[in-house]
Amino acid sequence: MKSFLAIVLLELRRLWRSRSILVLLAACVGWMLAMPHLVKSDGTVEGARQIYVHFSLGGAFALTCIALASSGASVLSREREMRTLSLALTRPVKRFTLVFARIAALVASGAAVLAVCALVLFFNERDAGPCAHVLHPEMESLAEEAKRMYDYYMADPETPPEIKKAKKSVVMRILRQGALDHYQSIGTNDTAVWRFDSSALAPGAPLAVRLRFTNDFDMREDVRGDFSFGPWRGAISNITQAIVRVPLHHEEGGNPAAGAKPKDELVFTNNGATSLMLRPRKDIVLLAGADSFGSNLFRAWLELVSMLASLVAFAVFLGSGLGRSVAVFTCVAFMFVAVVSGDVIEQYPDQFETDRVDRIGLAITRAVEFASRPVNSLRPLSALSSGECVEKEEAALVVAMDAVLIPVVFAFLAAFILSRKED
Amino acid sequence: MNGIIELKGVSKTFRDFWLRPTVKAVDGLDLTVNEGEIFGLLGPNGSGKSTTIKMILGLLRPGEGEVRLFGLPPSDPAARKRLGFLPELSYLHPFLTARETLLYHAGLCGLDTKTARSRANELLEMTELVHAADRQVGGFSKGMARRVALASSIIGKPGLLILDEPTSGLDPVSTDEVKTLVKTLAKGGMTILMTSHLLGDAQDVCDRFMILNKGRSVAEGRVDAIGSSLQEYFLSKIGERRDFKVAPFLAQ
Ligand SMILES: Nc1ncnc2c1ncn2[C@@H]1O[C@H](COP(=O)(O)OP(=O)(O)OP(=O)(O)O)[C@@H](O)[C@H]1O
Ligand SMILES: [Mg+2]
Repeated sequence: MKSFLAIVLLELRRLWRSRSILVLLAACVGWMLAMPHLVKSDGTVEGARQIYVHFSLGGAFALTCIALASSGASVLSREREMRTLSLALTRPVKRFTLVFARIAALVASGAAVLAVCALVLFFNERDAGPCAHVLHPEMESLAEEAKRMYDYYMADPETPPEIKKAKKSVVMRILRQGALDHYQSIGTNDTAVWRFDSSALAPGAPLAVRLRFTNDFDMREDVRGDFSFGPWRGAISNITQAIVRVPLHHEEGGNPAAGAKPKDELVFTNNGATSLMLRPRKDIVLLAGADSFGSNLFRAWLELVSMLASLVAFAVFLGSGLGRSVAVFTCVAFMFVAVVSGDVIEQYPDQFETDRVDRIGLAITRAVEFASRPVNSLRPLSALSSGECVEKEEAALVVAMDAVLIPVVFAFLAAFILSRKED
Repeated sequence: MNGIIELKGVSKTFRDFWLRPTVKAVDGLDLTVNEGEIFGLLGPNGSGKSTTIKMILGLLRPGEGEVRLFGLPPSDPAARKRLGFLPELSYLHPFLTARETLLYHAGLCGLDTKTARSRANELLEMTELVHAADRQVGGFSKGMARRVALASSIIGKPGLLILDEPTSGLDPVSTDEVKTLVKTLAKGGMTILMTSHLLGDAQDVCDRFMILNKGRSVAEGRVDAIGSSLQEYFLSKIGERRDFKVAPFLAQ
């Protein structure tokens, strides 16, 4: 424990005396403060807030990641170059401690920087209302739907032979993607029903439906309809925005949640003049009021710090085996590919990619995307910015995985590499 | 035999990136250092002294043979519990002050804060660095840095102290002080393994010695048993002096 603290203190002093942490803090806070003046929103208060929350903390997080990942990649490699690592290795300290203490020090400084940024955000958004739990309609799982579609296509004589010949895993991947985008059409005077599990809703929590119809913009004015969810009612007409939030009101006033049975059905009746299209897996959710913006911001901060911890641990691991410049370059390149991988994979589905180089590139991108999945989600930010909850269970899972498990594994790997390396 | 340090048939060959052997730095070395003695590892430049020390410390793995430190393999943290090491160049963190360097090493040795502070103060006083205690060591002169490194090697009050050229870069007065320090530490029960190119000093300080040449032991014994000066003995074992051939270089 003493040696752990000694190394943490050493790294904090390095960060402080090289001024790097101060520069990072100044850059992040500057960005947080400048953002509200730079935002060009769609004109609505909500839109401006959404952009501000997402990009202010998101930008600060990106800066912190870049700064601390390159610090992390150079921390062990620099010590090896300067031979101070050899000297430390003659002390009765486990190699794991040598590595893990450094990760801890870097993450602690990153956490402090992000905490200041989160405080700035909290101060600017102190009048924000409570966040909401998001409930998705209960549907067949993606895999089940994909399997059903697969069997259907394989039996269908119209299906082109190259698809019938293609690898099952590839076709299934495309079908799973397709299932997310499946449209449901609701004709005039038709009703649509989606089931929501409302058993976990707190009594008295305000409810709303958030939805998006995929009709042309100029046809949206004709949209008209009624919602009912147990004893709750709501209505829409004359949509002017792409995404609408429809508050639901309890019929009898009184104790609202008492009437909401588990597995309630949300019923929508299309009273307009056009038929409507939406993707149930993406375009319709039930919002239920939850805890304050501040507590959700805290959980978002925890998640961001955890992701930072995994990234820093990975960077320190790279620096344990590689030279300084190679480690920093590899780490930054990995981060870059991880950030763009989602879009690349979405835009270049691999099934018809015949060029060998393209296929290899896609395979690498997929691998990086897969490997970076635990730390490559800006979900807490997008949730916060659209007023959604950062769920407690989800935050706990991210902390356990990203802030504990992954750093410990990387620290063990780095310690192993150190034990194989010679002076 | 159960010495504090034991090497049996130890060899080390350095290799390049493609694993081709470049130099055999240590070749079939047997060495025992017993408790409480001051052992001098001597030899010309490139004879394998530092390489031997690094193998004892576990920083290098021997290609052949076996190394035991307090009866344990050097990779075992328990073996390093009672160990102090001064490398041939003072590897210091330039952004730490002298005091912080000592406290850092005290922390690595697992000392509690109070002990660490009082020992750091004593050592700063002993090495005459009190006036510079709170300056960053990056700005220190070579000799000052050497003294910080020396002080941090003994802050854990080790049972075994390994000094690789402890007096390099020190002025004559400090060199003399280091000699006295080494003798005092040994009287207090510390075992010391040191290398030095100052054979007169080695003769004054060491109980036993070994002379290495090209990675092999060419002589070993008690210092008081050689009869002549260690300097002469050394030259007789290593061979003729080879003067640098400077005339052709100047004539060009
Ligand atoms: N890391 C290394 N890689 C390759 N060769 C090395 C390495 N370290 C030492 N050597 C070689 O091993 C031999 C012994 O070196 P070593 O440093 O042990 O000598 P030394 O006796 O300590 O010399 P000096 O008195 O100059 O300090 C030399 O030929 C040296 O070039
Ligand atoms: Mg040497």
